[in-house]
Amino acid sequence: MTSRSTGLLYIVPAFSALLLVLFSPVFYGVWFSLHHIRFGTVGNFVGLRNYSYLLTDPTFSGTISRTVFHTSLSVILTVAISLALALWVHSLPPRRGFLVQMIVIIPWITSTVVATLLFKWVFVSDIGMAMSILRMLNLPDIQFLNDPNSAMGLLIAVSVWKRLGYALIILLAGLKSIPEDYIEAASLDGAGSWQTFQHIILPLLKTPLLLVVIVLTLSNINTVESPLVLTGGGPGSATRILAIDVFDRAFVNYDLASATSLALIMFLCNVLLVLAYVRLSKWKV
Amino acid sequence: MKSAATMPRRNLVPWKGMLVGLLFGCLVVLNLAPLIWGFLTSLKSEADLFRFPPTLFDFEPTLENYRRVFASGFGQSLAVSLTYSTITVVMVLLLGVPAAYAFDRFEFPGRKPLLLLVVASIPLSLGAAALLIPNYIYFLKLGLTNHFYTLPLIYTAHQLPMAIWIIKGTMEGIPRELDEAAIADGAGHFTILRLVILPLILPGLGAAGVMAFVGSWNEFVASTVMVDNPALRPVQPAIYNFIGYFGREWGPLSAAAILGILPILIVFTLLGRLIVSGLTKGSVKG
Repeated sequence: MTSRSTGLLYIVPAFSALLLVLFSPVFYGVWFSLHHIRFGTVGNFVGLRNYSYLLTDPTFSGTISRTVFHTSLSVILTVAISLALALWVHSLPPRRGFLVQMIVIIPWITSTVVATLLFKWVFVSDIGMAMSILRMLNLPDIQFLNDPNSAMGLLIAVSVWKRLGYALIILLAGLKSIPEDYIEAASLDGAGSWQTFQHIILPLLKTPLLLVVIVLTLSNINTVESPLVLTGGGPGSATRILAIDVFDRAFVNYDLASATSLALIMFLCNVLLVLAYVRLSKWKV
Repeated sequence: MKSAATMPRRNLVPWKGMLVGLLFGCLVVLNLAPLIWGFLTSLKSEADLFRFPPTLFDFEPTLENYRRVFASGFGQSLAVSLTYSTITVVMVLLLGVPAAYAFDRFEFPGRKPLLLLVVASIPLSLGAAALLIPNYIYFLKLGLTNHFYTLPLIYTAHQLPMAIWIIKGTMEGIPRELDEAAIADGAGHFTILRLVILPLILPGLGAAGVMAFVGSWNEFVASTVMVDNPALRPVQPAIYNFIGYFGREWGPLSAAAILGILPILIVFTLLGRLIVSGLTKGSVKG
């Protein structure tokens, strides 16, 4: 009834938009990054020199290690907490379980700018709720954002708090797909709840867990808003992670050459994570 | 054996109930307190704000903070964001439905790799910070920055892959016998899409639409970079600019923040179930 090209016709509009906004810029960016850039205009071809400048940049290794630290700790904590929550919510009656999901998802549906702003105001600011409670208990104020370690700790706390709901919902969907009989059979065989978790639930939850890890890693690596609003990268450069570094290079220092090269390195990391994601998601053709 | 296993568990029950209650309380405080505290702050005058110990409800509520926020042009930003997000939802569905239809019902050259590209673009557009710089210099070169269509175009492309995936997933559930019956009645494939499939995929369209609305309303990085005309500036960069403008004046700041999440909260209250289902359908296929 249809020619082989009918299907292509239906996807042309969508792919035109994707091509213009997502795909072509990457190729243009690669070409751009191989040239000498002066005030945003493209000069001579310089090969990989923009990239080698990055490697000689003394701040570069610090930024990378802070990014790795921030991302890995945020992801581990988010996954651990959301897994525990998911197991708990799964055991609740459906209505109450849904209520918990709704409450936990609120920071996630809130924009990162607003969520971080409210978090800062309530839990960090000197006249916020947390400090007022400390003061009422006659405890000294804690200036979280003046100390490098606690500033990073706070940034991780925001990252975990913001994304917990997302992880919970995906893991809960995974838990729901485990047949009830498996767990019943295990308990009939005398398995304790820890044994059931370790040998039945965890292996069956592997795919959603890995998916959550990948998506969380991606979104943590690429988050500009929370360090921008919470700390601005400070104190000093204690919370200057990759995403905000790229952002500042481009739009504060107007150094488009190094910003583009760094963004493309970041993009390569994203692509590797995405490939892992594609392999995992059970996409049918 | 059996009683030994159940005995200690029974003793734990009241203790466990308290633990669950405590956990639930912690969750409520951590997730709702910022919203409630922010809302109360937005209604406080300067004097009430700096009072110690802080008052929860015992203050004279004032709309002064909201008046100041609107006087600084926030109303326009809200209108701009509402327009952008609406256009994005419409565009995402207009482009996403035919694409999902093609991927689900047609065989065509390159179908498999193209679908793979769509799936890969879901997390890729999620991590838009890395894509943003190349995107910016490319749009700069083409003269596509700073137009009324710049941001809706970018949002549409960002939200489209997940929408196609969600809609395709919903279409899979519609038996192909329905298509075949319609073909036997002489219907063309566009008629099938319009009259047979579309009425049956409304929940999928809802989930995809809500995700696109929330995603474009909350977008910050592209919104900050791609337009610098205040008349084109949506809510998120406007709120960020207020941080610099109002400094430590938490009254107007929290008023702006509350106004900025109000549409999301309304959508969430009405369509919360769709958000949960959109999230689930958008990432794990089980």
